[in-house]
Amino acid sequence: MNDYLKYLDKFTFIVIIIISLSGILLIYSVSQSLEQSYYLKQLLWLSISLIAFFIVLRIKTEFVFRSSLALFVILGIILSIQLIAGQIVSGTKSWLKFGFVGVQVSEFIKIPIALCIANILSKIRIIDWFTFCKLMFLLGIPFLLIAVQPDLGTAFILTSFIIISILLKRIKLSIIFVSIMFVIIGSFLSWNYILKPYQKNRIISFFNPEKYSQSSGYQIIQSKIAIGSGGLNGKGYLKGSQSKYKFLPTRHTDFVVSVLGEEFGFIGVSFLFLLFFILFYRQFNFKSKTDREFYFVYLFNFFILFQFLINVSMSIGLFPILGIPLPFVSYGGSSLLSFFIGEAIIFKIKINNYLEI
Amino acid sequence: MYIEKRILSIKDTQRISIFVSIVLLLLFIVLLFAFWNIQVLKCDYYKTLAIKNIYREIEIKAQRGLIVDRKNNIIAENRLNFSLFLIRKSIKDFEKTIKFINLVTNIDKEKILNRINKYKGYPGSYSIPIKKNLSLDKVIYIKSRFDEFPEFKIAIEPTRLYPYKRIGSHILGYMGEITLKELNREKYRTYNLGENIGKSGIEKQCEEYLRGINGVQIVLKDNLGRIQKVLSEKNPKIGKKIVLTIDWDIQEYIEEIFKDYIGSIGVVDLGTGGIIAIVSKPNFNPESFSGFLGIDEWNELINNPNKPLTNKFIQGLYSPGSVFKIVMALVGLQEKLINTSTVVNCYGSVKIYGRTFHCWNTSGHGPMDIYNALKNSCNVFFYTLGKKLNIDIIAKYARMLGLGSQTNIGLPNEKLGLIPTRSWKLEHLHQKWFPGETISVSIGGGLLNVTPAQVLLMISTVALRGNMPQLHIVKRIEENGKIVSTFKPIFKHVPIKRKIFEILIEGLFRAVNDEGTGRAAKVKGLDICGKTGTQPIISKENPNYERLTKIYRFKAHSWFASFAPRNHPEIAVVVFVEHGGDAGAVAAPIAAKIYKKIFE
Repeated sequence: MNDYLKYLDKFTFIVIIIISLSGILLIYSVSQSLEQSYYLKQLLWLSISLIAFFIVLRIKTEFVFRSSLALFVILGIILSIQLIAGQIVSGTKSWLKFGFVGVQVSEFIKIPIALCIANILSKIRIIDWFTFCKLMFLLGIPFLLIAVQPDLGTAFILTSFIIISILLKRIKLSIIFVSIMFVIIGSFLSWNYILKPYQKNRIISFFNPEKYSQSSGYQIIQSKIAIGSGGLNGKGYLKGSQSKYKFLPTRHTDFVVSVLGEEFGFIGVSFLFLLFFILFYRQFNFKSKTDREFYFVYLFNFFILFQFLINVSMSIGLFPILGIPLPFVSYGGSSLLSFFIGEAIIFKIKINNYLEI
Repeated sequence: MYIEKRILSIKDTQRISIFVSIVLLLLFIVLLFAFWNIQVLKCDYYKTLAIKNIYREIEIKAQRGLIVDRKNNIIAENRLNFSLFLIRKSIKDFEKTIKFINLVTNIDKEKILNRINKYKGYPGSYSIPIKKNLSLDKVIYIKSRFDEFPEFKIAIEPTRLYPYKRIGSHILGYMGEITLKELNREKYRTYNLGENIGKSGIEKQCEEYLRGINGVQIVLKDNLGRIQKVLSEKNPKIGKKIVLTIDWDIQEYIEEIFKDYIGSIGVVDLGTGGIIAIVSKPNFNPESFSGFLGIDEWNELINNPNKPLTNKFIQGLYSPGSVFKIVMALVGLQEKLINTSTVVNCYGSVKIYGRTFHCWNTSGHGPMDIYNALKNSCNVFFYTLGKKLNIDIIAKYARMLGLGSQTNIGLPNEKLGLIPTRSWKLEHLHQKWFPGETISVSIGGGLLNVTPAQVLLMISTVALRGNMPQLHIVKRIEENGKIVSTFKPIFKHVPIKRKIFEILIEGLFRAVNDEGTGRAAKVKGLDICGKTGTQPIISKENPNYERLTKIYRFKAHSWFASFAPRNHPEIAVVVFVEHGGDAGAVAAPIAAKIYKKIFE
């Protein structure tokens, strides 16, 4: 155990802790107007996440990879059961209740998916149809299960795994062509038959928020006002009028960056971005002992990056509102815990590099 | 132990790492630039939007100034009322909104639409007044549905209250919503659609003083428009207080004794020229205008042949009848065509210019001097005088005494009346003046048209022996108990010898106190002087005269112009009864009651 701690990338770890704590700072600010002590819950979740982090750090990487498929199956089954239960008992959400805390299973499935895909990618030279089908199976099932919850945002983020896989490996051209056709047909069908009006409105209003300023464009506009009015220095901690007087929607989760922008200004935003940049830079630049470790780190890091980019772009109107939290910062225990577990695996992989096995 | 055959070389992973790092750097630079653009370059724009989100200016309606009479009785005040407003911009379902208004207020859907359309040029956030004087149960009902209808706003607004209801309605006037036409006038530059203004009477005349200054409250609001914090508050300022010269006790008394008549009464304090009472019948209840008047109520007011909305005292035009003989006597004496020893024999009629002119006393008055001619209102005496005069001279003196021009009493829309001259007739009727017309004018008929106010001014001038008072109704204006301005009595001297007035007054005294036509006005110890006027609607030569004069609308108008006491006049009273018949029997006794009440 001493070895683990000796080789732990302490700098990056501290960066993650600072990011998480700044999240709690922002959640405390919005807790005032939401009249709920979200920050205390988040603080509790951070403690749980840290414990989980050090537990995972002790597990052998090999075991993690080996059990990934089983983990994937178990989580898939829980998701299915939830879905069926949700159909029977209306109002059942995508949460599993453990006493006073609820766990969102869909947040965790990204870890076994990344592990499984890393496994697959490490065994092939080029993505052929067979591999592609395996990937689609791994992603498609959770995607559908989560999408019908409906949690389109979380489902959408899963597609980042496909993108990074294609970027990391060579792929048969025919697959690309067929996929593009599928995407076009799929978008057409889902626009006409699957998406609910409010979901469509979000996308429409993204392109013209001012026209829908009273309805679906409201969130984008209020978020931009919050960030823009923060200026260079911000209005000061706990002094953001947009969040204090409740103009910002879901300000403890999806629009936490808007609170940061309003209260701490461009300087605050730059600081957080710098921390994230350090995190990504450090986690992308490492020496791996095996291919699957390399792929897992890239898959999972890219997943975080993808989520980060979408969340931040969303808050300034560069991306439609999808309801995706900012990793480590937004309120949400499951999200925080799952990212800490994922990061624990990455840290472990980085430690492995220093250990003689 | 898992041993993997590596496909990726160290070089491969390094290449990927470098590539990813560069992409990562670019991504963050782009992101930072996007935030820089919003937070630094467009900061001011978003700052104003953020301020617009939370700051609201709420107007607090000021109360209108009070109106009190000379004894400080409050005759117009304010009551706080609930009013319903509509904010167009927040309407979700227009049809539903209209339906709901219709349900709550019973206003026709079409009327509601017209109302809303009137505010087209106003911003969507403007509060359109929909209904005033909402009852409490309606307020509660509407408030209970605010979630469903966020476009409605209920505000407490001062509404005009007239504690004496119909009493003095023509003095006070009434309030109404400003019209689009009025809004274009310079006078109403600072007004907005939906505001109430005085539409007639003192309410209109003194609008600039009565109107208060609205207060403003600057508040912080949250996303649902709930007030979070009051930042600053400027209290509304109540309008100035108008003190009238009217004595409301006397006003009330006269309205009571005059309630079954149609016509007008004016009473003036000769010491100042301040009006003590103005009655015009029929009248109306000014409070019914404070809300939105029902269509039926409005039609009834507009279509009533007796014109309740007209203030007959300053807007009713009538022939002065025999009251004009006072003017004629003055002209004769001043022009030295007659003197106190001039005697005319009355045989009941006289033939002038080949036409027979009748006296009201068909059996004749016998020999008449100026005193008895006034006392008995002998037509023949004045026909004979009229024959010696030309109309332009009569007009000159009539005007000198205040007839045929506005008295500027201080109420809006006063009528001019008409004192005809030769040039006037040529210009307006394109006809020459016929001498016979002068004969009709000399007993107050023909083209002559005057208002009761002008007659009151004329008799006051006679009473004061040529000192013409400026009639007025506003005594002073106060603000916070301090006097802003006071009306100082003005008397204008009429260049006629006092001796002549004394002769007239002797005649008028006899008319009341020496068994003259005005004897019914006699009150012991008051030395009332007066002149009756019975102005026929149809000529005595009409073959159906007897039958027609029994029909109301063919009955003669009755005048009684008077003052008292004779030597040191204090009060002048003019009574005019539309189709009252014999003035001596109708108008004179009413005046007597008024003098008794005032001098009791």
